Amino acid sequence: MNETGSRQDPWLPPLDPVTVELDVNDSLVTCTVEPRRTLADALRGAGLTGTRLGCEHGVCGACTVLLDGRPVRACLVLAVQARGSRIRTVEGLSGEREEPTGPGEYEGNGENGEPGGGARLSDVQRAFRDGGALQCGFCTPGFLMLAQGLLADEPDASAERVTDVLSSNICRCTGGVPIVSAVRAVQRARKEAGS
Amino acid sequence: MNHRTPSVGTSTPRRGVDDLLTGRARYAADLDRPGQVHVRVVRSPLAHGRIAALDTAEALALPGVLAVYTADDLPDVRIPVRLPFAETAETPPLLQPPLARGTVRYVGEPVALVVAEDPYTAEDAAELVDVDIDDLDVAATMAAATAEGAPRLHESSPDNTVSTVSLRHGDVEAAFSRADVVVRERLTMHRHTAVPMETRGLLAEYEPATGLLTLWGGAKVKHFTRQALGAMLGLGPERVRVVEVHVGGGFGVRGEPYPEDFLVPFAAMRLGRPVKWTEDRAEHFVATNHAREQEHEWEIAATSDGRLLAFRDRAWCDQGAYVRSQGILPGLLPALHAAGPYRWEAFAVDSTGVLTNRTPTGTYRGPGMTEATFARERALDLLAAELGLDPAELRRRNLIPAAAMPFAFDAPEQPHVPPVRYESGDFPASFETLLDAAGYEALTRERQRLRRSGRLAGVGLAPYVEIGAVGPFEEAFVEAADDGTFTVRTGVSSLGQGVETVLAQIAADALSVPFEDVTVDFSDTTAVPMGFGAFASRSTLLAGNAIALAARDLLAKAAAEVGGDPGEVRFDRGTVRGPGGATAPAGRLPAGHGRFDKPHPGFSFGAALSLVTVDAATGAVRVLRHAVLHDVGRAVNPELVRGQLAGAASQGIGGALLEELVYDEQGQPLSTSFGDYLMPTAADLPEIDVFVVEYPTPTNPLGLKGAGESGMVGTPAAVANAVADALGAAARPVTRLPLTPGNVRELLRGTPSPQATTVHP
Repeated sequence: MNETGSRQDPWLPPLDPVTVELDVNDSLVTCTVEPRRTLADALRGAGLTGTRLGCEHGVCGACTVLLDGRPVRACLVLAVQARGSRIRTVEGLSGEREEPTGPGEYEGNGENGEPGGGARLSDVQRAFRDGGALQCGFCTPGFLMLAQGLLADEPDASAERVTDVLSSNICRCTGGVPIVSAVRAVQRARKEAGS
Repeated sequence: MNHRTPSVGTSTPRRGVDDLLTGRARYAADLDRPGQVHVRVVRSPLAHGRIAALDTAEALALPGVLAVYTADDLPDVRIPVRLPFAETAETPPLLQPPLARGTVRYVGEPVALVVAEDPYTAEDAAELVDVDIDDLDVAATMAAATAEGAPRLHESSPDNTVSTVSLRHGDVEAAFSRADVVVRERLTMHRHTAVPMETRGLLAEYEPATGLLTLWGGAKVKHFTRQALGAMLGLGPERVRVVEVHVGGGFGVRGEPYPEDFLVPFAAMRLGRPVKWTEDRAEHFVATNHAREQEHEWEIAATSDGRLLAFRDRAWCDQGAYVRSQGILPGLLPALHAAGPYRWEAFAVDSTGVLTNRTPTGTYRGPGMTEATFARERALDLLAAELGLDPAELRRRNLIPAAAMPFAFDAPEQPHVPPVRYESGDFPASFETLLDAAGYEALTRERQRLRRSGRLAGVGLAPYVEIGAVGPFEEAFVEAADDGTFTVRTGVSSLGQGVETVLAQIAADALSVPFEDVTVDFSDTTAVPMGFGAFASRSTLLAGNAIALAARDLLAKAAAEVGGDPGEVRFDRGTVRGPGGATAPAGRLPAGHGRFDKPHPGFSFGAALSLVTVDAATGAVRVLRHAVLHDVGRAVNPELVRGQLAGAASQGIGGALLEELVYDEQGQPLSTSFGDYLMPTAADLPEIDVFVVEYPTPTNPLGLKGAGESGMVGTPAAVANAVADALGAAARPVTRLPLTPGNVRELLRGTPSPQATTVHP
């Protein structure tokens, strides 16, 4: 909990930088931002560029992160509003239900160093990979976080409910139907595993 | 002997996917250079006017602002046309300057560039640039632009047109005079576009010591961008390096040279600091190429037993306010696709580009062919209704038979117009494959069942041909290393399609080595001296064949080293072995080089089939089933090609039902957010049934045909035909897209218009 947040005057001068401590993927991220800076920009400025900006008006969902377990659009949240909340981004997804990836699978861009970028994939990530639920990958982190929130909150969501929730994000390459199938596959696999 | 299983033809898992799943992939906006500054483009708020004054003082005074550039600071350059056959005598004076010079011609046209230390500051400062514009009359539609006394956009074009592409085949008049039935209709496709999830972005850095300019973020046509920038910035192409990074969807619009591709490096050179630009979504909707808006007056002559004789197509194709890097393609491509897969005795096509005070247009996945297919297939359904023929039967009776391949219409050759020649394929058999596999009979029974239960239900079909394999050529180099790996370099681009996986498969087979040992590198223009890029479903075909040739060349060089025939040498963990037992280190071999030339494009066949319901009360259309079939020649990676076809079909459904770039009569864009421009989501789409057929073409060694766009081409036409079928004869005919609930309700309310379809004699 962050108590300073609740005690402070809510009307900060918009252009005077303030120092904000954010709890991101169980690590402390300290950033100095203007109060008008969005959470998405603050996260990206801290090197967590997996949170992507597709529209900056809250429709496409590419910037979806979990705020205290709930999916939110990080482009519609100010960084200062996220004080005191637990933030989870795609970089922190690989923590549970994971499998090691094969050797060499990360020899991609050669630019590393972002937090949480360990060589492991969660069951949701694997289902996306195996189900053809991504092409260009730009919307993928947002969909992963949306799916993560849904699966945690409503593990037994019906097919209609899964479609309904996932249709709040946009995937231009696949249309989104393969993403629904991937999330349904995770539901089945978790049920079979008895988790 | 080597008994390795070939990689081509298997659904090898796509490479690099884990970077996308973990957020590690770097797109243009994720790149940073030390000391970088940020730009914001100031854009015209009006559709047409003269710039009376541009006051930058207030913006320059804002702390953190480094510079504000206007047209006066720039050399007098234009963004050039990149395809020789898309450039005509009319196009040079219609090309776009990077910043408006005296006159603005569309809302969103760049008029100034602000550079600041921080992107938020750049945006603040851009709002302080005072642009004083004297209004001019606006031509906000093609009708307004071509009307008597219309405001003129450019001095060089008194009638606001660009060029007219005319195609003639056979004796049209004679064929029409023999017709039992003539059907006429005016068919309109609306303005919409690619809208990739990643907006455009660029990062430029200039090193004064070496005179080298590096541009990150350019994709699709890197080598052309390098040449164009080299000339425009006075550097020479050898001083420009264009580096591709991860790309969030291309679909035709990304990676063309745009005004910003000049402005960002220009600022980097002027200021001596790295300059970064990230387009925002509202900007994207006015700055990035629009597409698709066309009107076609179609007229078909047929016999009473459903034999197609001839057609006339008078097309008007919106170019927007300038001719951009794709030249006259918006008017040329529909002309090339008007005839489609049918055996016409004669036709006449005239397709004219029209200038309007709106965002310029370019290509969007399935360009021209999607529009032409919509117009032709809608007209054919009207003909089928006149004749009382099943729509599938009408097509069946007229598809070009396999025995006629290779097939060409005897249109006289003209400069700027590639020949319409179908190299190979079995159109009728492919069409039957779709009808059988997707269950046309079952779908029509399902339609009857839905109708009996009181629903409006319809089935629609649309066969098409698609241009692909556009040359002129592509080159590749294959290098062997002592650690047993191979590096392939080529000039095409990755736009998120998985092409790097497909090309590695081809190289692995050509070298008889494991897929895992091959890396494909095309990210940098310094790696390959020349290349043409990723467009027109060309990458796998042109680069793939170039790679196969380069691999053969490497094997020949190896054979020269160790003896034997090229087919007898083997690579084995960094060593090359000859048949006589001689060995050499693989890393010592010079790179194999291959070049594949394709002087004329090829065409491939496909078809789409759709079952829809329409809610009579709301006008909402629901696509229940949608199937696409395409002849890919040979599927290198069946799963990846299926993903491309299904994704393209999903976009096509969005274009048919939801997406539209709307303008008001003053040329103000009304669709500049995702709240106004509706994109399809999982809730709007069915699972797409994809059928891939393989009739290898003899015109390239690998037998490949293009496939990346094909799921799109027949989709809007099939959906439109299905909706028309659902609405029935009591409604007005479907003649324009999109079929939004409001537009469908209007069709349902209206009475059939007797003028729309005329029947002779």
